[in-house]
Amino acid sequence: MLFPTIDFAIFFAVAFVASWLFNPYPTFWKLAIIALSYFFYSWWDWRFVFLLVASTVMAHLGALGASRRERSPRAAKASLVLSLVGLLGLLGYFKYYAFFAVNVDNVLHSLGADRIIPLVQPTLPVAISFFTFMAISYVVDVYRGRIEAARPVDLAVYLCFFPHLIAGPIVRGEELLPQIRRRRDPAEVDFARAAWMIMAGLFKKVVVSSYVSSAIVQPVFSAPHAHSAPEVIFAAWGYAIQIYCDFSGYTDIAIGLALLLGVRFPVNFDSPYTARTLQDFWRRWHITLSRWLRDYLYVPLGGNRGSDVFVIRNIMLTMVLGGLWHGASWTFVIWGTLHGVGQSVGHLRRRRRVARGLPALADGALRSTWQRFWTFQFVCLGWVFFNASSFSNAMAVLGRLFTGWGTASPLITPLLVLTIIGVLEVQFVPPGALERIQRFFSEQRAFVQAGTLALVLLGVTTLGPTGVAPFIYYRF
Amino acid sequence: MSGPPDPFDRERGGVADTLRRTWERVVTPATPHHRPAPAPGPEPKRAGWTRALGVSLAAFGLWLLLDAPTLQHNAQVSPVGARRTVSLDVLGPIATVSRDLGLSHLVSVGDGLLGRHGNRPGNGQAAPPVTLPKTAPTTTTTTLVLNTHPSATSPLRVLVVGDSLGIDLGDVLVNDLSGTGVVEATLDGQVSTGLTRPDYFNWPAELSVDLPHYAPQLIVVMIGANDAQDLPGPPDVPFGSPAWDATYKSRVSAFMAEATSQGAKVIWVGMPPMQNPGLSVRMAHLNGLVQAVARHFASVDYLESSTLIGTPAGQFTPYLVVNGQEVNVREPDGTHIAPGGAQVLSGAVEQTMRNALHIVL
Repeated sequence: MLFPTIDFAIFFAVAFVASWLFNPYPTFWKLAIIALSYFFYSWWDWRFVFLLVASTVMAHLGALGASRRERSPRAAKASLVLSLVGLLGLLGYFKYYAFFAVNVDNVLHSLGADRIIPLVQPTLPVAISFFTFMAISYVVDVYRGRIEAARPVDLAVYLCFFPHLIAGPIVRGEELLPQIRRRRDPAEVDFARAAWMIMAGLFKKVVVSSYVSSAIVQPVFSAPHAHSAPEVIFAAWGYAIQIYCDFSGYTDIAIGLALLLGVRFPVNFDSPYTARTLQDFWRRWHITLSRWLRDYLYVPLGGNRGSDVFVIRNIMLTMVLGGLWHGASWTFVIWGTLHGVGQSVGHLRRRRRVARGLPALADGALRSTWQRFWTFQFVCLGWVFFNASSFSNAMAVLGRLFTGWGTASPLITPLLVLTIIGVLEVQFVPPGALERIQRFFSEQRAFVQAGTLALVLLGVTTLGPTGVAPFIYYRF
Repeated sequence: MSGPPDPFDRERGGVADTLRRTWERVVTPATPHHRPAPAPGPEPKRAGWTRALGVSLAAFGLWLLLDAPTLQHNAQVSPVGARRTVSLDVLGPIATVSRDLGLSHLVSVGDGLLGRHGNRPGNGQAAPPVTLPKTAPTTTTTTLVLNTHPSATSPLRVLVVGDSLGIDLGDVLVNDLSGTGVVEATLDGQVSTGLTRPDYFNWPAELSVDLPHYAPQLIVVMIGANDAQDLPGPPDVPFGSPAWDATYKSRVSAFMAEATSQGAKVIWVGMPPMQNPGLSVRMAHLNGLVQAVARHFASVDYLESSTLIGTPAGQFTPYLVVNGQEVNVREPDGTHIAPGGAQVLSGAVEQTMRNALHIVL
């Protein structure tokens, strides 16, 4: 059940009424949310509801053991490890088994040995990467003493709450569990902000992302040999716009839906293409994933303590595993490696500048523009590998940059150029302006609000294509 | 020694600081953004949940009224079944009101401005009845003579058409053929389309536009994944019944007649086996019908895919050993073709071009 569908609109209308009707009765509210969320998840494949339940049980048992850290540290640690092994085991089997088996078997075969690993292709359960990471953060936070072990029903709501279930944001226990435990104020729904987020998300996903994809990204990436070098450049820029509008559009809708239910999620995107460095980019792109990688991978590895070699090792491991999190493919590994190398070089440059008594990052309007430009180009280079169907496809796309000059570029149209520039420019709009629009909307009479929303919806459905492509991050 | 800010450093104004500020901004949304912003103004006014519900329902209802004719059309071209019936029952009266009030004009104007009155998915036209030819038809015109010795200056023009599986194949095939330097290959792929529902998308009509535009000398076709569905009535015609088979064969025939009408050769790639056994049987049934029609056309070569990306017995398999390496040939959904499988099919199409059509690539 995709967000921008009539099916979901009907589902959400029921969920919205049920949520507020049950709001005065916390236990019933939680049970209703669990039932609704499991129904929502079962829309894809009902069998995987059991997987979601299994992850919840593992997280709960792990947290129960881990919470006894002061009384029996070894048992708590064992409980933590067992829980992580179980959660990662499920993720590993469903997401990485086939990738692992094919590569190991092929290496064995090339060495003259027999293939030993049986090949099966498990169906990838939607959202498994997201709820597994949330479950891990919960168990680890309990072990670290940051939060207390939650009641099973609270934990179940935390993991399955449908607005974030499919593609995040990856919400922390300390952020969501308190909101689950307390009653939401039925007179204080942040409706203007929610409506803005949902409409903006729909426009980004249904109109902008779909247009850029069909106008240049899909044609160029599917047949790079048939396209010119300028088209390849615009396709890379276009994919940057497509994936941003797709994923941030999804996140906007998720945040808006949660707001309508009286729940707040953390922001997941903060104008990522205004970043001046890769480090800055990761502060702004998929923020809830980057902070997860920081707190549950980078810091435990040693973080930035120690020599440059040690720090670079930690950065590389974090980024490569972060790349692999997106999918079982060498293209994601290369994408992660590229970002790891870029961040490592940035780390060394900053350290050298500081050692010379200079600011970590050179300042000035011209320099900022220059830094933004090159950071964006580097990110786009990474996106080529991220979007390519294979390594050879990525190389074919990049190869056209050297061989594809002198031919026509019919895919580069004024509308495409304006769309790319427009989306980039919107990132520089100060949030104060958006706040004013929301405030103005919130002060209007009900019929004006309804009419405005109806016209925006009509605009989205008229400008968008027939049917809605799944969100890119659904497959992660 | 104090180092520079680290990507994940929580003590030195790194991500943690940004996140903390970001989170605070969500809780108190009017605080500054990543660059200095004016002093925060008052928050948007909050609403009671019943008002939020009322406004949302009113907005949804108004939108439904404005867009009902489009939604009704979308329901009409959706697969036959209870969902379609209910949708049509609900949307019918709303669409009538919308037309009577002239509200649907707004959407028509929008579609007109966007140039959306042509043949596109969701906006097809009903296909006229076609009679299956008794003998192999001779082409009426032969303006598109197959160039068997293409060169950079005189390339072979190839058009690949198909549904989402056709796109899986077409992406790789177009790239491979373009890479030879002697082929101009183009893909016209339309997801969720087929020959069963010309009211949703009319492939012969699409070809009638493609042929003069691309002037292909060879057309590669892979269509059928969405065709295992009933024909809408009344009365609805169930898949696999004699009436269904006769209609489908006439549509395949119409497609092949249109494709070869200018002298182009056609390679029709059959549907592969599916992970779902029931769907697999239906695909085999479709392949049989297509093969039967293809025998009537001298310019059409049928390429069986079930043994190319299936087991030797034509059963579904997600992996194959190709050149000693295990290759993933099918997507995890058990339907679509993975790049490895598309590469196998692309190679088979090229082989057919060389062996059956004697094209020197």
